[in-house]
Amino acid sequence: MSAVLQARQPRSAFASYRHSLWLLTTRDLKVRYSTSFLGYFWSILDPLVMAAIYWFVFTVIFQRGVGHQPYIVFLLTALLPWMWFNGSISDATRAFQREAKLVRSTKIPRTIWVVRLVLSKGIEFVVSIPVVAIFVAISFFTPTPAQLHWQIVLLPVAIVLQAILILGIGLIVAPLVVFFRDLERAVKLALRFAFYASPIIYGLVDLRRYPSLEVISAFNPLSGIFALYRSAFFPAELNWLHVGVSAAMSLVILGVGLLVFRRTISAVLKEI
Amino acid sequence: MSEAVGGTVSETESGRAGAAVIQVRDGGIRFRRNRLSRRSFKDLFAGTSRRTRASEFWALRNVSFDVAQGEAIGVVGRNGQGKSTLLKLVAEVIFPDEGSVRVNAGVAPLIEITGGFVDDLTVRDNVYLTAGLHGMKRHEIDERFDEIIDFAEIGDFLDTPFKHLSSGMRVRIAFAVISRLEEPILLVDEVLAVGDRAFKEKCYRRIEELLAGGRTLFFVSHNEKDLKRFCTRGLYLDKGALVLDAPIGEVLARYNADYGV
Repeated sequence: MSAVLQARQPRSAFASYRHSLWLLTTRDLKVRYSTSFLGYFWSILDPLVMAAIYWFVFTVIFQRGVGHQPYIVFLLTALLPWMWFNGSISDATRAFQREAKLVRSTKIPRTIWVVRLVLSKGIEFVVSIPVVAIFVAISFFTPTPAQLHWQIVLLPVAIVLQAILILGIGLIVAPLVVFFRDLERAVKLALRFAFYASPIIYGLVDLRRYPSLEVISAFNPLSGIFALYRSAFFPAELNWLHVGVSAAMSLVILGVGLLVFRRTISAVLKEI
Repeated sequence: MSEAVGGTVSETESGRAGAAVIQVRDGGIRFRRNRLSRRSFKDLFAGTSRRTRASEFWALRNVSFDVAQGEAIGVVGRNGQGKSTLLKLVAEVIFPDEGSVRVNAGVAPLIEITGGFVDDLTVRDNVYLTAGLHGMKRHEIDERFDEIIDFAEIGDFLDTPFKHLSSGMRVRIAFAVISRLEEPILLVDEVLAVGDRAFKEKCYRRIEELLAGGRTLFFVSHNEKDLKRFCTRGLYLDKGALVLDAPIGEVLARYNADYGV
């Protein structure tokens, strides 16, 4: 091969962004699935075990006073998206630290370091959706079969809204953690709080009994998003006010995230 | 190369021989002195005045120079005088706090060399990943894959997880990939020190080949012989300032006079 200078065909900014993003995302998935024997199974085992625990606690021990029947489907429809949220945000706290060497040696657009987390966890979420179908099928043999409603078409809307929200929070958290290490722990704590503060083990309908809580929960962007997911089987959960607030807040958070990220990125690159 | 000053250097102009491919104007960057003590929440709420700016220092300041296409530049200076920082600015992996750094052509950076590799993936996957992140398309990597592996002399380990390779092997792969990127600018930090002598010589021959092909070289080294071998022009950095920008012989003479060997 000759070493004569011949520039390779450069691609457009968007194409190269997509290319790098896809490379890193598939790398993440490849690493996860090539290093563990059970691979894909792990990504659904976690929500399954959690769902089993909550199902046991709330339907067997406490004689369930919340949610809808079948409770396991009710749980999973919010628990799986929660796993996506939880996984990406806690990974975002290490977005730069874990890849420090790679971040320091390549000049790909820096938002990719956050976007790839949202994407790879999002793919894991999407491939875990069949688990819900399995439990829906099982529920046909119980007295309370799950029923699919037209609201299933809202699934893509929910996914897009959630991706926007996660990306926004990730863009705020990822750079700030580099400067304030305490933030990593604070985020963990906030996530645990958010799990119980969001309608996952209970539903929005259960909050009607507490009007003040219902107002507060409307400002939790996750409420509206989970309501969208759940409406496929439990249309009573769908509350358009919550969805509207969620959408608006997600967009605002994304805007703030982009701003924070742009303002801090040059300091982040020096720091790592 | 001064005709570009003040005006905008378009992509087409930069491709012409003699046009500035790298333009640094009053470049400056500062770091915190104590990198280990990270800021805590207390600092966040303490207000800007109490956030002690005194603990920051300028790693580089008021650095200006132009580099024309095809030039081979050696960066000289003692440890901690800003050589690697300058290379990173040119690679655009960090940004200046002051002034501007303009790079009008693609860069193949041999810095932080083995950083991009993933321990759990095989050599093959890693080659595709690193080359891809530096902008190569899949079919381009396919075309060059055998050359890269031949050059790195790593054929027997294609499907070995990266973590099982020695540090020398890692550097070989990294050099083989980056030097095949065919970008117009090549940045070399002192990464080749790890390889054995035969491989180092091979790398140096490859660098000479690239130079002969019209590439621009930015070379950081403490080895006078290597600097003289590749470089025509030298930049002497001391205490964060560009002290001398002159032919490499002159720069080395000045450096030796200041810090005698």
